[in-house]
Amino acid sequence: MSTTHDTSALEDRLVAALAARAELVQPEDLAPLATVATLRPRWQSPWVLLATAAAVLLVLGVVLQGVGGRQRSDDVAPRPDDPKIELELPADVGRDWKASPESTPARVDLDGDGAKEKVEFLGEETKDFDGRIRLQTTLSSTGEEAYGVADVASTVGAGAEGVVDADGDGDQELVVFDPDLDTSGGAPLVFDLREGLLVQVVPEDPSLLQRGDVQVPGSQTGLYDRVRVLQYWIEDGRLFSGRSEDSFARTGMTTAQLPGIVLETWEWRLGDDGVLRREAAGCKELVFDVQECDADSGAQVPDLTPATETVGVGESADITTGFPFSIRVEAGDPPVLVGEGQDGVTLRHELDGADPRVATVQPESIFSDGESLVVTSASDPTLVQLLVQRGERIVALDPVGEVPLENTDDNRTWLTEGGSVVSVTAVDDGSWQLWSWQMTSGDRVFALPGVTVCFDDVDDPTTARRC
Amino acid sequence: MERAVDITELYAAHRLSLVRLAVLLVDDFASAEDVVQDAFAALARRPDAVKDPSKALAYLRVSVVNTARSALRRRRTARAYSPPHDLSPPTPEDSAVLAEEHREVIAALQQLAPRQREVLVLRYWSNLSEAEIARTLDISQGTVKSTASRALVALEKAMQTSRDSGPASPTSSGKEQR
Repeated sequence: MSTTHDTSALEDRLVAALAARAELVQPEDLAPLATVATLRPRWQSPWVLLATAAAVLLVLGVVLQGVGGRQRSDDVAPRPDDPKIELELPADVGRDWKASPESTPARVDLDGDGAKEKVEFLGEETKDFDGRIRLQTTLSSTGEEAYGVADVASTVGAGAEGVVDADGDGDQELVVFDPDLDTSGGAPLVFDLREGLLVQVVPEDPSLLQRGDVQVPGSQTGLYDRVRVLQYWIEDGRLFSGRSEDSFARTGMTTAQLPGIVLETWEWRLGDDGVLRREAAGCKELVFDVQECDADSGAQVPDLTPATETVGVGESADITTGFPFSIRVEAGDPPVLVGEGQDGVTLRHELDGADPRVATVQPESIFSDGESLVVTSASDPTLVQLLVQRGERIVALDPVGEVPLENTDDNRTWLTEGGSVVSVTAVDDGSWQLWSWQMTSGDRVFALPGVTVCFDDVDDPTTARRC
Repeated sequence: MERAVDITELYAAHRLSLVRLAVLLVDDFASAEDVVQDAFAALARRPDAVKDPSKALAYLRVSVVNTARSALRRRRTARAYSPPHDLSPPTPEDSAVLAEEHREVIAALQQLAPRQREVLVLRYWSNLSEAEIARTLDISQGTVKSTASRALVALEKAMQTSRDSGPASPTSSGKEQR
């Protein structure tokens, strides 16, 4: 996050100040635990806990039965012959390379004798720190040197991500993370001790053993594309990976994914031929970590509570969340919106439509580097307009894309308390497609598709739930 | 399948750290306690929202951040109607004193936009990764990165402004703001 000395010093000060401020709150300052009693009734009762546990087990049983009982199309379809994969033995290069920048040696029992070897990571010297790394160690069982070589996107920070025993032979394979500098993802490189060398084994389908957002082929629309989320992880010495069942719309660095991503997962097992092959490992949910799926798994519905406070002609408000400024609406034909920033700059903008209402919550999800506002009309409920600051003027964003920027019965649009502008469009089965508005080039704005939601009462967005 | 979360255990294990997180977001001990209490109360109302302890802490953290943001919003609304003097008795925490060097940083932090403050606190106190912060705040990792970068600039600027204008802010008095 920081590269300069000044920034680093500021970060150090911030860390120290936050720690000191937090430490002022000591356990004895907290109100007595008894105050939590109001929270307890449903949980304190052992009968409720037993009943809850029984219900959870019952639901889990149903879910697992459902998952296990489903036959996937690729289970019955003929499988192609295994592709011919050949292992490459490492060349003995890089003996004179220096330790990779910021790398940490790994401690791994490569030969299975119960003693851990120290594996060092040497980096090839290149201008951009791309190139190869050399892993080298001395085996505790024989005293002989073992080494491996791999091409990586960055030699900086080369190190072990973990160890696995993917072939079940009792010794450990070393997993090294190879970052993908373009996608902020990457893939694991797995090294197995074979014939005295650290050989990089090969997954049968590398596209399913990686981490990051991967574009769905053919999903580009000009305004956004769609990605699937891939993740891999090590659990109890076993290597797993997963890919999201759903794809998510993405524009720039923004994606429509929400916590609660359901993954189709695989465990990767290493064969004698040095090939990692995948075995289905069922459904998992990626929230903050990877968890078992349950009845509640899946994307959560975001908070769609509408922002209701607005100002009209003759009224004013201070906007303090996000970019701070004050607004007022002056009478006129048309009425004039006046924005005054803390820098003393006053912006004026003639408003469209009769009886304009300007929300006092900024649409920060659209624009946060200056004044931004949502304008509606008390006399025209269909009107929704997004305004942003451009230098010393305010401009109205031009809506483009699949969804019109308007508020009608089957295309409802509103600003949420959290500063997002969302639309929901009616789907034939009674559900609603959620869209979130995003700014794009040329002062344009478009709606990015999100999850499907259902409403108990469509006139009350707070009743939104998963369908 | 993990066991269902025990809210009492969660409360005992994480209440202090969550109150500390809330204090860094709202800079007011009483509000921070309320924020955390509300977060646990929300979890108690929806016990099926979380199934295992590791998920529960992340869930509670999100809840604390959101509730703290709402608290700040309510505080702004209520400020115009507040009596001029707060007559409630001081808490033990109120009497604690923060070193001058830290006061300047904390005072500057409180001047940042809530989203910037949240990113800095989660990054530099909670030690969350960019991905974890993105999930906690429901924003993209790119936004986390750009927000953090801008927040550090704004923080430095606020500290400089404070130094230029002298020690006039409430938090520079030596006692923590209620």
